[in-house]
Amino acid sequence: MKLRRTFAATAAAALGATILAACGGGGGGTDTNSSGDTESAKGGTLTVLQHFPFESTDPQRIYYGVELSWFRRLLYRGLVAFPMDDSNEVVPDLATDTGTSSEGGKVWSFTLKDGVKWEDGSDITCEDVQYGTSRVFANDLIIGGPNYTLSYLSSLDYPGPYKATAKQQAAFDKAVSCSSDNKTITFHFDKPWADFPLAAASLMMTDPYKKSFDQGDKSKFKVLSNGPYKVEGGTWSKNKGATLVRNDEYDPSTDEPDKLRLALPDTIDYQIDPSDTAGELFNDRLIANAPADQTAITTARVAPSQFPKITGSVEDRYQNPESPYNDYLVPNFNRLKDVNVRQALAAALPLNDYVKALGGDRSATASETIVNPALDFPDNPAFADDADNDGDPDAAKALLEKAGVQTPYPIKLGYSKSPTMDKAMAVIKEGWDKAGFDVTLAPLTDTYYDVISKPDDDYDVTWAGWGADWPSAMTVLPPLFDGRPNISSTTCGNDYGCYDSDAFNKLVDQAAEATDVDEQKSILEDADKQLGEDVAYIPLEITKFNWLYGSKVTGFTTTAASSSYPEIGLIGVQQ
Amino acid sequence: MTSPANEVDEIATDEATHHSTGPSTAVVSKSPTRIAMERFRKDKLSMTAFSIVVFFFVAAVLAPILVKTGVLDPFGTNQDLLNEFSLPSGKWGGMSSSHPLGLEPGVGRDALSRVWYGITFSLAMSISATIIAIVLGVVLGIVSGASGGWADTIIGRLIDLTLSFPQTLMLLALSSVLVTFISDKLHVPSGNPSQAVYVVAILGLFGWTGIARLVRGQVLSLREAEFVQAANLMGASRARIYFKEILPNLWAPILVSFTLIMPTFVSAEAALGYLGVSIGPPTPTLGTVLNDSLSYADTDPLYFFVPAVTIMVIVVSFNLLGDGLRDALDPKGNR
Repeated sequence: MKLRRTFAATAAAALGATILAACGGGGGGTDTNSSGDTESAKGGTLTVLQHFPFESTDPQRIYYGVELSWFRRLLYRGLVAFPMDDSNEVVPDLATDTGTSSEGGKVWSFTLKDGVKWEDGSDITCEDVQYGTSRVFANDLIIGGPNYTLSYLSSLDYPGPYKATAKQQAAFDKAVSCSSDNKTITFHFDKPWADFPLAAASLMMTDPYKKSFDQGDKSKFKVLSNGPYKVEGGTWSKNKGATLVRNDEYDPSTDEPDKLRLALPDTIDYQIDPSDTAGELFNDRLIANAPADQTAITTARVAPSQFPKITGSVEDRYQNPESPYNDYLVPNFNRLKDVNVRQALAAALPLNDYVKALGGDRSATASETIVNPALDFPDNPAFADDADNDGDPDAAKALLEKAGVQTPYPIKLGYSKSPTMDKAMAVIKEGWDKAGFDVTLAPLTDTYYDVISKPDDDYDVTWAGWGADWPSAMTVLPPLFDGRPNISSTTCGNDYGCYDSDAFNKLVDQAAEATDVDEQKSILEDADKQLGEDVAYIPLEITKFNWLYGSKVTGFTTTAASSSYPEIGLIGVQQ
Repeated sequence: MTSPANEVDEIATDEATHHSTGPSTAVVSKSPTRIAMERFRKDKLSMTAFSIVVFFFVAAVLAPILVKTGVLDPFGTNQDLLNEFSLPSGKWGGMSSSHPLGLEPGVGRDALSRVWYGITFSLAMSISATIIAIVLGVVLGIVSGASGGWADTIIGRLIDLTLSFPQTLMLLALSSVLVTFISDKLHVPSGNPSQAVYVVAILGLFGWTGIARLVRGQVLSLREAEFVQAANLMGASRARIYFKEILPNLWAPILVSFTLIMPTFVSAEAALGYLGVSIGPPTPTLGTVLNDSLSYADTDPLYFFVPAVTIMVIVVSFNLLGDGLRDALDPKGNR
């Protein structure tokens, strides 16, 4: 899922990214940080200071990590959902159980609970889920959201509900079918989808959508809620936000409030300021903690330049969790064909200095793999040996000598421009230059990912960032390194280095065929080892988030389920 | 009979003695240039501005030499001198004898070296852009003023067109396309040289309009002057009239324009560096250093003030120099 720019390194991630994934849940890697009053206080108004506009509030179009996890708690319940903790275990939400699979993970069915209702009082039916699922296929109209279902139902050749012929619609209704009592939905996928419930919990591509409410492009900011809140007036204002008030049709007895959503405040007041400096200003306001801001939280991370201001009592209102996003460097396989050269780059990388240039321990943690620790994935052996992370120019020189290349070896390093990245990349340049490379920095300003994914670009190494879409390495390694779906004559897709390895692809196929999640994971660990041996990527850092909140905010916690954003389902305000 | 050589000698000695005997009574004629120079020298403010400008020029020329010899080090990092927030440890932004203006947060490069080396690139780019603007403006201004007729109309509309162009927007939108064009088609080395050429070209190509209008106005009055008409009657070519007869009378407004346009280009380059359309990292320009320093305004104020004050001083002193020159060259100008 997408990460919204605030500043610095990850700023680039959202810009021009076709897909930036993220994760809904996570393993035991991150800590659950609890704070404030443990006594939950119902009532009051929570203020949300948001530093960027959502591109849509239509469930099938949402891809920002923070929007997915917050709206799941507030407005849009899913078939299943992640509880407000760090476990990877989904719990039933609209459905009565977490789904039953048959035919080796190819068929999944869910039965809806009784008494679950839309905000207009009508029941949520299987047809609504079917319709919501079908909307994703209209990828000329319902754009911006995740579309994994398309590849699992690719045999249908279905253009979405707006353009489908009767025959196409019938075929779709057969593949995603409803029982006669309109309560049970069954998905018949083309291939096994072992972790489908995880995907359904993290993303909203199989969320219900009421057909009579759909106005195509016009429903981009219309909200028909089925959660504990509803949007006052029914329409979200892109640049102003909205006020969320209690949804009278929501029945907590159909829900598990302790696990999924406490819904403590009576109203939630969104204030959006999309200007460039809004993030820093919001955090300055939270540092000052004026009465009006004491009940506020923000989507904007504290900028590294503000860290020194977080001292004394402000530090009690501060949390610094690891995020689900990893950054890494991609060697271009069309240019750096010698594995020794790629290994030399990995050996000489001054990772600790790089982390310091990003703002130190509060901004980032050096990483030994591309897979986020929230996914409970082992370090990549190819990079784990480099335990000190200070960079070893001598080892790199030896590798370059072994490769028999002329030094200084020219390297063009592409990255997405920001003042912080300029400095961080200058540190990498210094480390690599010491090891016998001659690095040219190439900052890019717009459409970053489009440029670096061109197969004929002349970047030797590029920077990239990624987060899992749901807690499985299946949403990390195959989308980033499987050459077959990614590489075409005009683009290498998300496989920015145009890496294409038969050995790796074979492992990916095995993992996709796996019927249970543990088996899949062990195959993917082998795949990651293969990537390490080929140096298909060089891990950089796990981005860390920095959150401040007002002094009257209670229950402020970040979880893997909330993508390390504030867990809004637990947050209340003191009266 | 004396030889002509002796005669000459005698006259020479004669003259010399005359001069030495009566200097107080002699009326010395002064050229307008000399009068202006004297007037300028008397103006203390302008002289101060002039010395600051000279100082920056010398600094700009020296910087690359000092970097080569290792006296200045704008690229070396000193992360051991930073604290846990990656800000310089110690007071005053990490100021010390080896880093007189402190360090850059995050990587710990020497702030003085960064700014000083940045002056070189900023001044080089703004001076080149000014020269392009002046040459274009003067040539088009003369042609438009002196020839009149359809040439005047076309150039007048060209000025309107240039002025109405959304310059900044286009600069940003087209930067990647045009920079690639510059490096691929014009064979300028890709990367920083192409970026620099782009910035210089854009600033120059959009900065000439004011000058052209000013020169055109001057030429309109000059072309009726007797010496121009005389040249016309004698059948002088247009080129001769434009550049031998009219141009020499324009150097005062040109000089003033130069000193007034140049500082606007210094700040324009800083703004472009801020928007990411200038020479790229790790090479510093005043704009890129300032851009980075902005977010540290309250946590590391010294690092913020150094580039900001440098840009301010350069712009102000160039402006004062320009004003001083204008006053000296055209004392009747109402100011």
